[in-house]
Amino acid sequence: MIKIQKKDFYIENEINKLRKSYSNVGAVSNFIGYVKKNNNNKKVNSIYLEVYDKMAKKKLEEIVKKAKKKWDIIDCIIIHRFGKLTTGEKIVMVATISKHRKDSFSSCKFIMSYLKKEAPFWKKEIYNKKSTWLKN
Amino acid sequence: MKILYFAWLKNKTGRSKEIINDKKIKDVNSLLNFISKKYPNLRKYINKKDILRIAINLKYTTKNKRLNNNDEIAIFPPVSGG
Repeated sequence: MIKIQKKDFYIENEINKLRKSYSNVGAVSNFIGYVKKNNNNKKVNSIYLEVYDKMAKKKLEEIVKKAKKKWDIIDCIIIHRFGKLTTGEKIVMVATISKHRKDSFSSCKFIMSYLKKEAPFWKKEIYNKKSTWLKN
Repeated sequence: MKILYFAWLKNKTGRSKEIINDKKIKDVNSLLNFISKKYPNLRKYINKKDILRIAINLKYTTKNKRLNNNDEIAIFPPVSGG
C-alpha cells in the first residue's frame, strides 16, 4: 500500500492494519524518518516537502514490485508526507511484513534506499531567516 | 506539451507548469534549448551535467528522446525525500 499524504499517521495503527490482513505474519520491519532539529550545522525550524504525486506513486509501486521479486515478503506499506512539517514530525514510514526476519529486514532497507534515490520528493529546510532546498 | 517544474526550478521560471507547443521542439535537447532561451537564468543549470533530471510521462530519461505534443515533461533537481 502506498500513501502520499499531508496528515500525520499512527505507526502502530498502520502496521496493525497491514498485519491483520494476513494470517501467517512472522516478522515486521520498519523505518521511520523524522524532521531533524539540526542539519548541516544549522538550526531547522521546519521543512517543506514537495512531491510530483503521480510519478512518486508510480516509482514506489515499481520498487514494491522489485522488492517482492527479490524477497519473500507478504506485503508492505509506504507512507510519505508532503507540505509543511515541523521538527520532530514523521516524514516517511516503510514497513515490510514477511514470514521470516531476513526478508523483512532486507526488503525494508532496499525500499528505503530506492525511495531516497528515485522517488520525486524535494525537501526545503526553513531556518530563522533563510531557507534551502536540500541536495539529497 | 505540458512542462512541469519542481523545487527551486519554479523560482527560476516563476511558474510550476506551462504548455509549450513549438514546431522547433522535436526532442528533449530542442526542448531544453527552447527553455534556456525562455528562462536565461536556467541556462547554466541546463548546460551543466547532473544538475537536473528529466521525466517524460512519469519515466526518467537521460537520452535525447523524441517528444510529442501530448507528452508531460517534468524537469527537476535531484530528489531529496525520505
